[in-house]
Amino acid sequence: MASQSAASHLAPLLTAESDEDGGQRGLFRTAWDFSFRMALRYIKNSYKDDPFRTFLEVCLIGFIIWYMTKQKYNIGNNEIELSEKEIDELVDDWRPEPLVPELTDFERETLDKAALLDGPNGIKVRLASGNGKALLNFASYNFLGFIDNPDFEKRAIETLRKYGVGSCGPPGFYGTLDVHMELEKHLAAFVGHSAAILYSQAFTTILSVIPCFSKRGDIIVADEAVNFSLQQAIALSRSKVYWYKHNDMADLERVLKDVNKQLTGRRGKNALPRKFIVTEGLFHNTGDISPLKDLVELKHRYKFRIILDESLSFGVLGKRGAGLTDHFNVDPHEVDLLIGALSYAIGASGGFCCADKDLVEHQRLSGLGYCFSASMPGILAVAASDAIRALESNPEGHFSSMRENASLLQTLLRRIPGLQVEGALESPLMHIRLTPETLVRMKRSGGAWTKTDIDRVLAELVEEAQKDGVFLTRAMYVDEHERLLPNSSIRICVSCAHTRKDIEKCAHAIKNAVSRVTSKKR
Amino acid sequence: MGKGQRATQAYKSTEFIEQVRDEDGLVVGNPFKLAPSNSGSLLQDEGLASSKKTSSASPAPEAGVKQEKTLSELEAVPSLILVTTYLSFLMLIVFAHLRDFFGKLFYPANYVQLRVQNGLAPMVSDFESLWTRRLYGRIRDCFNRPITGVAGGHVNLLDRVSNDFNNTFEFTGRVRNVLNLASYNYLGFAQSEGPCADKVEAALHEHGLTPASTRAEAGRSVLLTETEDMVARFVGSEAALIVSMGYATNALNIPAMVSRGCLIISDELNHSSLVSGARLSGATIRVFKHNYTPDLEKVLRRSISQGQPRTHRPWKKILVVVEGLYSMEGEFCRLPEILELRRRYGFYLFVDEAHSIGALGPRGRGICDHFGVDPREVDVLMGTFTKSFGAAGGYIAGSKALIDYLRLHSHSAVYAEAMSVPVLAQVSSSMRMIMGEDREHALEGQQRLDQLAINSRYFARRLADMGFMTMGHPGSPVIPLLLFSPAKIPAFSRECLRRNIAVVVVSYPATPIITGRVRFCISASHTREDLDYALEQISEIGDLLLLKFHQGKTKEIASDDAKMKIQ
Repeated sequence: MASQSAASHLAPLLTAESDEDGGQRGLFRTAWDFSFRMALRYIKNSYKDDPFRTFLEVCLIGFIIWYMTKQKYNIGNNEIELSEKEIDELVDDWRPEPLVPELTDFERETLDKAALLDGPNGIKVRLASGNGKALLNFASYNFLGFIDNPDFEKRAIETLRKYGVGSCGPPGFYGTLDVHMELEKHLAAFVGHSAAILYSQAFTTILSVIPCFSKRGDIIVADEAVNFSLQQAIALSRSKVYWYKHNDMADLERVLKDVNKQLTGRRGKNALPRKFIVTEGLFHNTGDISPLKDLVELKHRYKFRIILDESLSFGVLGKRGAGLTDHFNVDPHEVDLLIGALSYAIGASGGFCCADKDLVEHQRLSGLGYCFSASMPGILAVAASDAIRALESNPEGHFSSMRENASLLQTLLRRIPGLQVEGALESPLMHIRLTPETLVRMKRSGGAWTKTDIDRVLAELVEEAQKDGVFLTRAMYVDEHERLLPNSSIRICVSCAHTRKDIEKCAHAIKNAVSRVTSKKR
Repeated sequence: MGKGQRATQAYKSTEFIEQVRDEDGLVVGNPFKLAPSNSGSLLQDEGLASSKKTSSASPAPEAGVKQEKTLSELEAVPSLILVTTYLSFLMLIVFAHLRDFFGKLFYPANYVQLRVQNGLAPMVSDFESLWTRRLYGRIRDCFNRPITGVAGGHVNLLDRVSNDFNNTFEFTGRVRNVLNLASYNYLGFAQSEGPCADKVEAALHEHGLTPASTRAEAGRSVLLTETEDMVARFVGSEAALIVSMGYATNALNIPAMVSRGCLIISDELNHSSLVSGARLSGATIRVFKHNYTPDLEKVLRRSISQGQPRTHRPWKKILVVVEGLYSMEGEFCRLPEILELRRRYGFYLFVDEAHSIGALGPRGRGICDHFGVDPREVDVLMGTFTKSFGAAGGYIAGSKALIDYLRLHSHSAVYAEAMSVPVLAQVSSSMRMIMGEDREHALEGQQRLDQLAINSRYFARRLADMGFMTMGHPGSPVIPLLLFSPAKIPAFSRECLRRNIAVVVVSYPATPIITGRVRFCISASHTREDLDYALEQISEIGDLLLLKFHQGKTKEIASDDAKMKIQ
């Protein structure tokens, strides 16, 4: 009885509160007036009847208010109450760390000695410090030689004269050019998927696509060796992530089984989360290839979807150069989200995602990098279209020489004593590093090698090779942010535009560099 | 002796003024192309002259502007409009659910995607996609309108029709030339000819198309480093780093600066890329009320005094992240007040100048220039080249120590492709022109800057005079006009298109649910005829859609404008 009347006493208070939120003033004012009067009359009447009951009710209201305010202050909060003076003192005392730490000596050295190219990038490059001497480039991802193709310059200028440079807006707001739509169609047809969507940077493509579909509560099973952009995308998605050993299908199966086991018996809304296997086509950090056929089989058996990053493999693997699906002759539709890049083999810029039509359309509203950034400049879209057209019309011309070059260089490099070569035979990208035994031999006092020491040796190796006319680069990582930091290495990219002589020269230069670097004790 | 005055002297003394201007200072005919005439009209323009005074006289001219501007604006909205807006949304949502319900009952085949299929959870959940399917789908024709050619003052739209309620579009093959009030082409550098395009062509010839590598590996070229130096000089900081995409500039660089144990205090209306960057960094994130410095101070005091949650350890560092010009609101951040707080509380300040760089300030150097503060007081200056420079990508500028660190530790420098040659050439040529370093076109840059300032003030003033409810600060090249009701959003866009004007309409989730709006982006390449035509048509549409909420009332915004001028 008492509580009921308490509620009716509270009613006008509640209306008053909602009034402020609502903003529908006139209506609420009358309602408020009316209920206030009602309440007043009720209080008067009840006081006349039974003053003790009114007293009880007032106590009850007081208790409720106290209880509610107490709740608000105590749940999940361990803040300390401080006086203004104390806060001022704390503010005065607080000393932030510098915005960025100072560079170490080796980092400073790296920065000072970083290669500075004078003129265009291509098979041959000139360094600003190199007195105009041309170096053979084995550092850029110019697998198909597209970036120094003279035909593209003409086309780029034509496009410039029609479309200008920037698109001055995101695709949603008058930033979609006809050449973007053509390229999307072209890409979908070339890959053999249903539809495609363009992003203006390769890294951001991955960063947008994965969080667009895999959300909090969803499950990602990922290869341990995936590149950094995938690691970041997985982190941004906030999904639950499980890692499996690099390219180890037995381990993957174990993880998938585990995941499914954990999910059995789950009820309610989250009974069936979205489940993804995330891996790369051609691994950036190792030069390996994913066994796609096994992945597809596992995907079907354990009811997962595949997100495949074909950034490097697109335009490199397969008979037509359409990537890993082409290489293994797997239906591209088996890959639910196929992410590719146009900035590597294609020699343009940006990336794309091939998927079912619905999923592509979903990204046009929810893909952050698509929605919230300007679209790709028309020049680069046309360059990408042209490059794909060139692949379609003459696949042999590009791929056979690239693969020959790659396997030749690998064979030659493997013969060099003290050098370790990592990478699949089909891969034009390989990592080289000194073998552990060589490193041990090089250390005078038998002390342990730190990562910086190894990096320094590799940097020397790069410099030595430069003296012999070969331009190489260390594989760079942001060490502190990588989940599992790959071993330091020099990344070599072979192009179809290299001649046999170039390859031999490269192998020779590396051989000389290795022997010079390893002969020095340190 | 401000920079503004120097510029006006330059106008007087040379023959580079090739434009016909009317009494408002607007260009008649095609800008940057016409025959010489006197430039006196420019100086007589009240708005411009006073804005120059403002920027050179006192360092914090806007300090006196009242804080709760947006709030007071909303209060001025007739409650009837608020009620009907909420009701319309309610109706839309109720109908969306009803249609879904009956649709699933009678046409299950259309809803296959939303169900568990073959043991796989749906890729997009039912609830998530309701908005897209049922609300956005109805007005999809107002977005993603494809264009061809350059998005300049006018733009060529590819005409398209839909015969199945916006499910699919068919192209009619016709091209439609419309007035462009949508692209971020503030200074009119979206051009396929002219000195910038010539420079780009030369660069393509000399440097190729792309570097095909990352900046930290083999993508560092003389062209890149020279442009970086120029950007640093332009914004007035020690060094700068160029990133090949605007979104990535934030998303991939913030994680290099802050990490776990640090705190990011972010304006609640910050751009999505800043939010992504903050999330990726692993730092704790707190927000403060949009552009409301007292709330920022409150958050700061609480955060510093309480330290990290649970452990109460002091924060390693605090990064306050704001935007220079909020592109959905047309509002400037209160930089002088924030810098005041910075001196007191010792946080680091990150200003995203995506929209303000090139567009604000008498010399086009962005928000610092606008307020007349030293850019070195801001720890991290970020901006994009997409908008004012007609290029793409972005930059981070700051102290040499910061940039050197980022060159080795920023995700964009180490893992993402370096910027392509045509874009770099466009950036450097347009920037050189703005700085007046391009000898052959020494004054064109300043001309464009002044033109943009005049155009945006003129447009905003006329809109306010007509009784429309506009948002934002005077001088902003982005002018949002409030539409409120969800039905008026597509109606406005379609009416504009019918009258050959391209505009951007935005609604929830890009804005608060109540304040759906149309956003006009003013460009230096708009002529007086362009703007007058647009205003005339918008006025008609305003009558048609009952949008002139302020008609016959005291014009708050106009008076605000006047206040600014007096200052």
